[in-house]
Amino acid sequence: MTTGEVLLKVDDLTVEFDTPRGPVRAVDGVSWQVRAGETLAILGESGSGKSVSTQALTGILEMPPGRILKGTAEYRGADLIAMTTKERRKIVGDRITMVFQDSLSALNPVQSVGTQIAECYRVHRGMSKRDAMKRAAEMLDQVRIPAAANRVRDYPHEFSGGMRQRVMLAMALALDPDVLIADEPTTALDVTVQAQILELIAELQAEREMGVVLITHDLGVVSDVADNVVVMYAGHVVERAATAEALEHPVHPYTEGLLGSMPSSDLKGQELPTIPGTPPSLRAIPSGCAFRPRCPIAIDDCAREIPPLLTVAPGRDAACIRRTTISANKEAV
Amino acid sequence: MIRFILRRVLAAIPIGLVVTLGVYALVFAMPGDPLRELAGDKPIPAAVLAAKRAQFHLDDPFIVQYLLSMKDILTGHFGTTFAGADIADQLRLRIPVTLKLATMSLVFQWIAGLLFGLYAGFRRNGVVDRMLLLATLVVLAVPGLVLYFTGQYVFGVELKWLPVSGARDGWPMSYLLPALCIGISGFAGLARLTRTSIVDTVNSDFVKTARAKGLGEQRILWRHVLPNALLPVVTLMGIDFAGIFGGAVLAESIFNLPGLGQFMFQAIKLKEGGVVVLLSTLAFLMFIVINLIVDIVYGAIDPRVRNV
Repeated sequence: MTTGEVLLKVDDLTVEFDTPRGPVRAVDGVSWQVRAGETLAILGESGSGKSVSTQALTGILEMPPGRILKGTAEYRGADLIAMTTKERRKIVGDRITMVFQDSLSALNPVQSVGTQIAECYRVHRGMSKRDAMKRAAEMLDQVRIPAAANRVRDYPHEFSGGMRQRVMLAMALALDPDVLIADEPTTALDVTVQAQILELIAELQAEREMGVVLITHDLGVVSDVADNVVVMYAGHVVERAATAEALEHPVHPYTEGLLGSMPSSDLKGQELPTIPGTPPSLRAIPSGCAFRPRCPIAIDDCAREIPPLLTVAPGRDAACIRRTTISANKEAV
Repeated sequence: MIRFILRRVLAAIPIGLVVTLGVYALVFAMPGDPLRELAGDKPIPAAVLAAKRAQFHLDDPFIVQYLLSMKDILTGHFGTTFAGADIADQLRLRIPVTLKLATMSLVFQWIAGLLFGLYAGFRRNGVVDRMLLLATLVVLAVPGLVLYFTGQYVFGVELKWLPVSGARDGWPMSYLLPALCIGISGFAGLARLTRTSIVDTVNSDFVKTARAKGLGEQRILWRHVLPNALLPVVTLMGIDFAGIFGGAVLAESIFNLPGLGQFMFQAIKLKEGGVVVLLSTLAFLMFIVINLIVDIVYGAIDPRVRNV
């Protein structure tokens, strides 16, 4: 269903952090790609490396202490990681833009929202101050901020949380980017506002044939908007599939556990199932499969080596030695 | 804006009354007789003593003395000191001395504080940053008095680079050493605050946003980091500025500079309530005005505190 051009292709990305107690691997051999018009969800709990991977490839990760060990991130064939900062700035912020979780701290508190949006036009398009402000007002209108023309000169603290996230979106979409990386864009918002923002992203995406990378820990968000999903656990990709299929027949036990712990009307009155245990500290990732200590179907062989990401069916990959095919999945259950 | 200023000025009136009354009460409560203090060991004829007591209303109740002093201050009739000097003349002579000292020490303090703070903030954990931490700890641990006397001994007595005390060498020579001492004891706090503020701001989310927008480092620094990082610094600079008179009392006395601080010191020693209250009122007015300026500046640089 998404056959657009591959815009951003991440391959074997590995990121480490230097800490006083030695290096810690936050992202290990992660690969994914996003096409024009596609929404790719990167799903994982905090500490699974989902944000670090996108921050590393856009160059906004603090380095040091962060360090990219290996891997490529190609935007239309040009490797973002290998290029110079100056070259990267022409792409990140213009063709690839980002939206962050907490819109209050992600906006500069002492600049008006108009100035902050206009800055994109000034820096990347060399527009005059007046033209840029005019375009900023148009952008605010496009993200459905009421009375946008009157609000360009307002400051971030004068907006509500949902409206501020719209401002962030306006800023990210100002230059008609090819790829939007939304890092938990709705986590700080309440559920109704969350739905509005997701809907807005989907609408704006359809208008521009943009690729969206949606980083989230919320399965509900994934099932609502994502075409494809990449599930991450302890810095590794453990499953990669089309959203509908992953939700219908999860292959990796972790994905299965996540789905099982979703509240639904079938479970009304019963205790919500959870995945036993807690995610591992990145300092002490278990040998072999990182999910092994919490996995209901783990065997001794799981401790031997990190399970490779294998194709279990056309367009579906999972990293589990117990489930190397869809049918194996059925047997194990 | 005018309403804001008016409101602040009106609010200052009751505070001013409490401050002056408190200061006057403290001077009144000090032990000893002011006129005997003035005369030293020499006997004073009873008639002279009585005349002086009447002139300065020393036998009136506390509150009457206070009100009479306030009346003099408000009507501009400052009168004379116990020793007979015209207070208005004294002010005219002494205010420039204190202003010169205050300006010079503030310049030292602010330049050193901002430079070291900014540098340490951007080169966190570098050599300058570590040296600054050490230097601040030392400066904060050493009392001002020790610093002043050490300065006098090293640069005045031993090296003979600068005059030990007095204003005979005029500006700037006579002021360099005291201003340097005040600057050293004051720059540490400013530098630490600037450094911490820079570090916090550099790591904040909106700087990350600015990077994600593909902005150059210079633009991020001038448009996003500094305007936010300097907000708390401006507040502290205002407090420093307003508190400089307090520092002047000690420094002018030790370095024997004939400024308002030294005047204050002598007046306290002689229990001259009227003079102490007059000088306190001056300091208080300066405090109010400086605070007002800081608030106005703050409103201009931080939209979040406008219309408050």
